[in-house]
Amino acid sequence: MASSNMYRIGDYVYFENSPSNPYSIRRIEELNKTSSGNVEAKVICFYRRRDISNSLLLLADKHAKDMEEDMDEASTDLSENERHQLNHKELYLSRQLDSLPATYIRGKCSVTLLNETEDLKSYLNKSDTFFYSLVYDPAQKTLLADRGEIRVGCKYQAEIPPLINENGYDGKEDESREEMVWNPNNELSKQQVDQFMVISRSVGTFARALDCNSSIRQPALHVSAAAASRDITLFHTLTCLHKNKYNIADAISSLVPKTGPMLCKDEMEDWSPSEANLFEEALEKYGKDFLDIKQDFLPWKTIASIVEYYYMWKTSDRYVQQKKLKAAEAEGKLKQVYIPNYNKPNPNLIKPVNGESNGKACEGCFCTSSFQWYTWGPPNMGCRLCATCWMYWKKYGGLKMPPSSRLERMHNHKIKGTDKELRYRPPNSGVAIVATGGPHRAQRISHKTKQAFFLNATKLTRLARRLCNETFSIRHYSRRPFEAINIAAIKAECQVRLSSSPKVTTKFPQKKWPPLSVVVVRLLTLRPQLTHQSVKKSLSKIKTSVEVATNNNHHLLPSSGSLKRSHHNGIAGQKMGDNGSIYRVSNGPQKKKRCLNSTDASDDMLFVCTDRIRDIRKRIKSSDQRSAARKPTKFLINMPKFAMKPPPTKHINPEPIVIDD
Amino acid sequence: MALSNPGGSRKVCYYYDSDIGNNYYGQGHPMKPHRIRMTHNLLLNYGLYRKMEIYRPHKCNAEEMSRYHSDDYIKFLRSIRPDNMSEYTKQMQRFNVGEDCPVFDGLYEFCQLSGGGSIAGAVKINKHQTDIAINWAGGLHHAKKSEASGFCYVNDIVLAILELLKYHQRVLYIDIDIHHGDGVEEAFYTTDRVMTVSFHKYGEYFPGTGDLRDIGAGKGKYYALNFPLRDGMDDECYEQIFQPVITKVMEYYQPSAVVLQCGADSLGDRLGCFNLTVKGHAKCLEYVKKFNVPILMLGGGGYTIRNVARCWTYETAVALGQEIPNELPYNDYFEYFGPDFKLHISPSNMSNQNTMEYLQKIRQRLFENLRMLPHAPGVQMQDIPPDAVVSGSDDEAMDDPDKK
Ligand SMILES: [Zn+2]
Repeated sequence: MASSNMYRIGDYVYFENSPSNPYSIRRIEELNKTSSGNVEAKVICFYRRRDISNSLLLLADKHAKDMEEDMDEASTDLSENERHQLNHKELYLSRQLDSLPATYIRGKCSVTLLNETEDLKSYLNKSDTFFYSLVYDPAQKTLLADRGEIRVGCKYQAEIPPLINENGYDGKEDESREEMVWNPNNELSKQQVDQFMVISRSVGTFARALDCNSSIRQPALHVSAAAASRDITLFHTLTCLHKNKYNIADAISSLVPKTGPMLCKDEMEDWSPSEANLFEEALEKYGKDFLDIKQDFLPWKTIASIVEYYYMWKTSDRYVQQKKLKAAEAEGKLKQVYIPNYNKPNPNLIKPVNGESNGKACEGCFCTSSFQWYTWGPPNMGCRLCATCWMYWKKYGGLKMPPSSRLERMHNHKIKGTDKELRYRPPNSGVAIVATGGPHRAQRISHKTKQAFFLNATKLTRLARRLCNETFSIRHYSRRPFEAINIAAIKAECQVRLSSSPKVTTKFPQKKWPPLSVVVVRLLTLRPQLTHQSVKKSLSKIKTSVEVATNNNHHLLPSSGSLKRSHHNGIAGQKMGDNGSIYRVSNGPQKKKRCLNSTDASDDMLFVCTDRIRDIRKRIKSSDQRSAARKPTKFLINMPKFAMKPPPTKHINPEPIVIDD
Repeated sequence: MALSNPGGSRKVCYYYDSDIGNNYYGQGHPMKPHRIRMTHNLLLNYGLYRKMEIYRPHKCNAEEMSRYHSDDYIKFLRSIRPDNMSEYTKQMQRFNVGEDCPVFDGLYEFCQLSGGGSIAGAVKINKHQTDIAINWAGGLHHAKKSEASGFCYVNDIVLAILELLKYHQRVLYIDIDIHHGDGVEEAFYTTDRVMTVSFHKYGEYFPGTGDLRDIGAGKGKYYALNFPLRDGMDDECYEQIFQPVITKVMEYYQPSAVVLQCGADSLGDRLGCFNLTVKGHAKCLEYVKKFNVPILMLGGGGYTIRNVARCWTYETAVALGQEIPNELPYNDYFEYFGPDFKLHISPSNMSNQNTMEYLQKIRQRLFENLRMLPHAPGVQMQDIPPDAVVSGSDDEAMDDPDKK
């Protein structure tokens, strides 16, 4: 318990930045105590798939495919479900540093560089484990492999010399490469060497007594003796023996040359007290910039002697005291921090209503009973997750099941009639998000992308729209999409009206829908960040979504009659067949493409109606309004140019509002 | 070659120049040549100094450096000084000198000493005059042909191996620094006369190379071996990968000389993220020693200098086959080793991210690559020394479920 709550530098952790969004995954680089007593963590950021753009995901998938070729087949043979969950386990390392209060930490996890010997499935089975193989640069929006390269070419490799003689050295004497300073194979016993050592140190002590500088600085005999026992004297003693061919008598006489008894001083001993003071002063001023210290404070010393002095000075009492001061300063830097389990309730937690489901199932697993429920997605959607799916969402940033199998489950669910709630709503029922425009996206809203659907009006519907003013007010219902429509009543009225006014033409001109390619191009110009890939993905989804629409939204449609295969879909199928090259993605590996995660799906658009727009609507002729509604990319021709309170500007052009995820 | 009694003490030649420790990379730079002097003083006071042949190496010259490095790079290293840096901005960029590899006072002499010691050690081995040669000032494994990298300017290892190749058909390079031995691997990437084996932290880590899939190229294909590791490697795990891999490499490759880079940043280190102790680190040397092949032991990384001194002191003792007490002897830098003043260090409580499963899978993959090798290229089959095969050489060492 205690150790799992102890967070250290280098730990990978979950951070909670917002109660409803998934955790961020970070690695602790530093733990600093702030002046207010809180602990702040300096962290390295990891990104999830949901955090990076679709075009980069393409690259990432290509890289994954390459890597999978090196992996065992058993490891890469994954079901759609496993792929979906594996996507939640993949991260992208960044070099981005962030600072966060340590109290936002919500637990440990592990992040490892994916190795091709590993079984991908092992990441599925272990919770709180993630892998990465790419480095993401959030500023440049690039992905790079975290792998260096050994270069090949004559500019990099060494030229291999020919073998002269395999049996070893051929006896030809090389020029000497070295100078021997000690040979262990000498005639002296260990004891003899030790004895000579003592003699040498005694000579050194006596030499210090004779040396004016030393005798002033080291008046006490034992201090002199200690000085004469420093390593420099010991090394010199052994070298002296070697030079005298391990002849003790010769060595002794070399200790006492004509110039007086031998005196070996290292920098520590050699420096005067005033030099030592200068050094400390300089250190204070320049830090350990020894070049500057030499130039401005100790020009008569060499860099080498300053460096030697510095490392010896670090063993002195003066340094030890300074170090204690520094240690107090450095107390702000922590090695670890204890963070108790976080047990405040998440604001998304739904207050228990008898502990049972009030009809709504979990968005993730469709279970209807859970000991806790959490609201999930935009508040007015009323979506919720069971406790398990909520944890999954927080840790892995998605829902356990891939969208397709969720769709299936949902479908079954619906047929059973247990879920009265309409699941697919028009996109504009979402919360209004203020678009900031430009590359800075609006604040991320965490809910899944809703399936797109469209309405195909039948002849009867079209007729009813025109005829049945009593039971069917178009304006009324278009504003209240969830209000049930009494189709029987409309049908009845329609029959009556039709027979009473046979003039009404039952022939409608065939609409000339633009080919899909045109629509796509228009959408692309509206949404430049949409990639071809995501467009294609969306296209392939149309089919399923239409079918869903048939089943789920019948009470939206004026006619419960047969909804034919959609116009769009027909065209899409045909066009894709004829002219598929337009949409073909040239660089995306199609075969092994990882399954689309709900959060990775292309973005929806949402139009926010402001007061101004409402105001303008009122001034537009209803026929124009209708035509504008059907051709959203077209400019209004008969824009009311009069009596607009703020002068007319281009803002009328309804800029699509983007919701990410 | 029967210079020594197997298993026990060996003849050791040790290379050191007292100037090396006074080189200073610059304020805040983690590379501190001073650690070599700290090691040296510990050796003296442990009494190990007296048991080895001690040499002061000659400085290697530009011509010797150019056996690997490009002439213009060496010429640049010779001319650059802190006071003339402004005249060399373009070349500094080209040769990657400036940030990680700063220009400092005495830089060229530093390279000369480091290179001189390693080459001298190689010559000594060529002359059959020693079992083991040690140069703690060497092991600068990141330096490239025309580029400084990772605190390394001149690749003394490559220079030493080139020297060994004059009298050795096959030289094995083993790198236990926490960083990948990229410079050495690159230099010998396309030859089968040098096999490079590196155990290193891989992923989000300098220098970024050392992938399992990097196995050499051309004639050198399968003669580069990389063991990528994750944070927290401990003694036990390290032993269980090092020994089987080295056994197999020795068996397949049969080198007549081994160069062992003993980078000490694989201990709990300021820049590292492994969790080896001095004993665990030295076990690698102990194991390599068993094969009775001459060894050139070199330094390398290591940025918690008191632990570097501990490690290299102990490894010198292991090379000599000498036992030394855990109590550190008094020396000029005794205060650095507080508060315990002991030789050995305990592992930290960091978690080991290398699971047995992961290590075993990598090991398996490496064995598969090793099987691609012809037995000992260029020379006939020959039995490996019996004591080499005894312990931990089998796959079972790791597959045994009873073993933790
Ligand atoms: Zn290193």
